[in-house]
Amino acid sequence: MGKVIVITSGKGGVGKTTSTANLGTALAMIGKTVVIIDADVGLRNLDVVMGLESRVVYTSMDVIEKRCDLDKALVKDRRVEDLFLLAASQRNRKDDIKPEQMQDICERLKHDYDYVLVDSPAGIEQGFHNAAAGAEEAIIITTPDVSAIRDADRIIGLLQNQGIEPINLVLNRLSPILVKKGNMISKNDVLDILNIDLLGVVPEDAGVIASTNRGVPLVHNEGSPGADAYMRIARRMTGQRVPIPEMREDNFFSNIMNWFSRNK
Amino acid sequence: MENQIVKLRGYKDGLHLIIKPKVSLSEVEAAINKLLNGMNPPLEGTSIHIDLSTSPLTSDDLKDLETHLTDNYNLVVSGVNILDEKDESPILAAPASHNISESFPADSQQEFGNAQIVRQTIRSGQTTSCLTGSVIIYGDVNPGGEVVASGDIIVLGSLRGNAHAGAHGRLSSVIIAMELVPLQLQIGSYVNRPPLGQKPRGYPEIARVGAEDIIIVEEFIKF
Repeated sequence: MGKVIVITSGKGGVGKTTSTANLGTALAMIGKTVVIIDADVGLRNLDVVMGLESRVVYTSMDVIEKRCDLDKALVKDRRVEDLFLLAASQRNRKDDIKPEQMQDICERLKHDYDYVLVDSPAGIEQGFHNAAAGAEEAIIITTPDVSAIRDADRIIGLLQNQGIEPINLVLNRLSPILVKKGNMISKNDVLDILNIDLLGVVPEDAGVIASTNRGVPLVHNEGSPGADAYMRIARRMTGQRVPIPEMREDNFFSNIMNWFSRNK
Repeated sequence: MENQIVKLRGYKDGLHLIIKPKVSLSEVEAAINKLLNGMNPPLEGTSIHIDLSTSPLTSDDLKDLETHLTDNYNLVVSGVNILDEKDESPILAAPASHNISESFPADSQQEFGNAQIVRQTIRSGQTTSCLTGSVIIYGDVNPGGEVVASGDIIVLGSLRGNAHAGAHGRLSSVIIAMELVPLQLQIGSYVNRPPLGQKPRGYPEIARVGAEDIIIVEEFIKF
């Protein structure tokens, strides 16, 4: 029996879809069976980020309205074994789906797959409620800025009211240089406010944009800071103990400074 | 708004129920029901003053009204003021049948001895309210979260959101937090906010209404 995990944030543009694509891919690379569900009906783009746009024939709406079987609506990933996408309908609206219908889909999928990751739309309306309906766990994505943190806090409250537990945090787009300059809220400040367990920190990585545009999730680009962070998070999700590295500035100048201070 | 038969107003000494002149008891009661039933959170368990202008209500009517408020809404009528029609501010006057208390029973142990304990963090968008006494929170109040109490508010964590103590007008209410960095504080009808960019000071603080009718914040040692 698998786990259904909703990936959500409240605020838009903080990396829910990118994180869903990468964590789904990473889990499949570790050897798990995974389905990622796009719950952003009407504004779907998980298929685009995965590079599976042209292969989507049926959507979750077709499953709900019994135009096709659930198995048939799952799109197999191009690169990784055991990774499947259930796309959202682009023609419908978020309130065309009811929470119970979403719950039913998640319930059926978790019998056959290890992980069912649901990519939630932004906001706290129907779309969010649908995405969270079938989930028993949640991953909150936030960036280190006050508006994203405020919205994440709101979402955590709503998820707790629904009895979703555990709720873990992924801090996205952290720039160690900016934190050091005092221009960015640090990891500890975010944790102090949100008061939930930290699943991982993803550093700011310019490679994300390129990988999104190519439709190849970042984790395929082994060695990039973002890819490594997502791989570590996926391992933690499977219960492995992987430490969260303290981020430091990785540039020529600070390396020299470190070298000097080590040799003092 | 001016044509309402009854209206509620918070004054320095507490909550006043103001009754429009020249209306009958049944009309007043109907208006009170409409007003109080429509309130969310409900107004309960607090004391209230009744302000009358030259109203045709007799002292028997007043007694009926008082019983009505006590039985149906658990409200304690702490005084009756007869208003001069031209003057907005309530003037205390005593009809023969009523005891008039100067103001709210100050720091009455019985009235505010009950505290509601909240064993969680109040997050953005969440509200905790206790309109029958004080609130103690075993957690934080995050920005966008709100705590309302008719008595005191004690936060055994960081108060980063909004807090309203003495919500029914009790100005001796205080707000205590281990870390007091709120967006806004309210005690009774007074509102204040910390200066922009206020950092936590690293010790517990208390907010109360000071001598000049503004909310002041100082280190909390003990009463």
